[in-house]
Amino acid sequence: MIVVGWLDEFMWGSLVVLQIFFLALIMAVTWGLLGAAAKLSSNRAAKLTATVFTTIFRGTPELLVLLIIYFGSAITLTSIAQFFDPEVKFVDIPPLWAGSFAVSLIIGAYATETFRGAFQGVDPGTVEAARSLGISSTKTFFYVRLPQMWRLALPGFGNHMLSLVKDTALVSVIGLEEILFTADIATSVTIQPFTMYMVAALIYLGFTTVIMYGVRLMEKRANRHLEGGR
Amino acid sequence: MAQTEQDPIIRLKNVDKFFGDFQALKKVNLEVFKGQKVVVCGPSGSGKSTMIRCINRLESHDGGRILVNGIELNDSLRNIDAVRSEVGMVFQQFNLFPHLTAVGNLMLAPRLVRKKSKAEAREIAMRYLERVHIPEQADKYPVQLSGGQQQRVAIARALCMNPEIMLFDEPTSALDPEMIHEVLDVMVELANEGMTMICVTHEMGFARSVADLTVFMDAGEIVEAKPPQEFFENPEHERTRLFLSQILSH
Repeated sequence: MIVVGWLDEFMWGSLVVLQIFFLALIMAVTWGLLGAAAKLSSNRAAKLTATVFTTIFRGTPELLVLLIIYFGSAITLTSIAQFFDPEVKFVDIPPLWAGSFAVSLIIGAYATETFRGAFQGVDPGTVEAARSLGISSTKTFFYVRLPQMWRLALPGFGNHMLSLVKDTALVSVIGLEEILFTADIATSVTIQPFTMYMVAALIYLGFTTVIMYGVRLMEKRANRHLEGGR
Repeated sequence: MAQTEQDPIIRLKNVDKFFGDFQALKKVNLEVFKGQKVVVCGPSGSGKSTMIRCINRLESHDGGRILVNGIELNDSLRNIDAVRSEVGMVFQQFNLFPHLTAVGNLMLAPRLVRKKSKAEAREIAMRYLERVHIPEQADKYPVQLSGGQQQRVAIARALCMNPEIMLFDEPTSALDPEMIHEVLDVMVELANEGMTMICVTHEMGFARSVADLTVFMDAGEIVEAKPPQEFFENPEHERTRLFLSQILSH
């Protein structure tokens, strides 16, 4: 089997995918929560900012967002660096970070809408009850709103996580040696595109299967308080 | 401002409240003294709920003054949390936290507001669950409880903060008839222990047996406020008479 010789490369590629996944996931959840909070707030500037954010990042092709963020930041950084030292040729944000950041913005924009809908599904009476007990609004958010919202957000958010894993494949275009990049290289050496791309696809399928299973467990846990209801 | 025994624990002075153009409260005046039980009744939309929601500032009033326990309710946030932790509130729809067990519902505020340890909070919670006669339901989630049990958990949850005052906003209106008495029993016990209470309710039996003062509201105004005996036997205003005949006739 010719694949065996490439297994360690694929493994390193998988590690890169995992790194991007977790970095982008943390950032995407943050953007999503901030975006949802902004959209639901009564502050018009916050609302407008969130709307611009979701419009841009849901409305442009993901590959373009990635390229614009990577090269945009590189050009900006390079010109700043050249201002201080004209000898500098090229400065960029490490592709891992640029890629994770770009993907997180896209997924964060979708998550904003999912979280917004989920927050709206939380019974406002429970929030009033918490406030009437003297619980501060910040603590009410973390102990009453968030745990209830999470259950409603999970099905949609599970989809976002799957998109996120698959979007990591895009990051190969800015030179990050992830799974697709490895498959490209392997193909150019072995001239066996079908085999190599199948390996890449199977690895992705492995990741997404684990995520789907994980989401199912989380949903079960999040719904446990509804069991045996009357 | 100094608080003396003679001062009312709750004082509403010329309180106005608007929802857009609609005036929900019109120059409402009410004084409640420590240990008093006040029953508020009136047709729906008369401003009963709005009034008690203003007392713990779930709604903010637009005119007049509200003093609770010597603290004036205004836009200062610190005051509001202080007032809220002294004023328990029970809602028509129970409003239990669905993601927490009964005992978890009771433990949340003591832990977050009173900074009790988990063990202390649990001990307090179990004490109050016993007081509302459902310690055996401690580890159940709200959906697994009947309406009457849920409302008793909600009462216990408010009591865990050891409030000076309890507000009840139609606590039995969402209950099946056979469960009303178990909630009223708990409320009567609470009244007998000397709790200061304001109850919005149409349970006139409760008003007769427990209330010191019966308040009738209509169209955002307090029409009549009297001890229950006088209120039921000798209502002064036509509107009160009409309302009483409607709810007592069947």
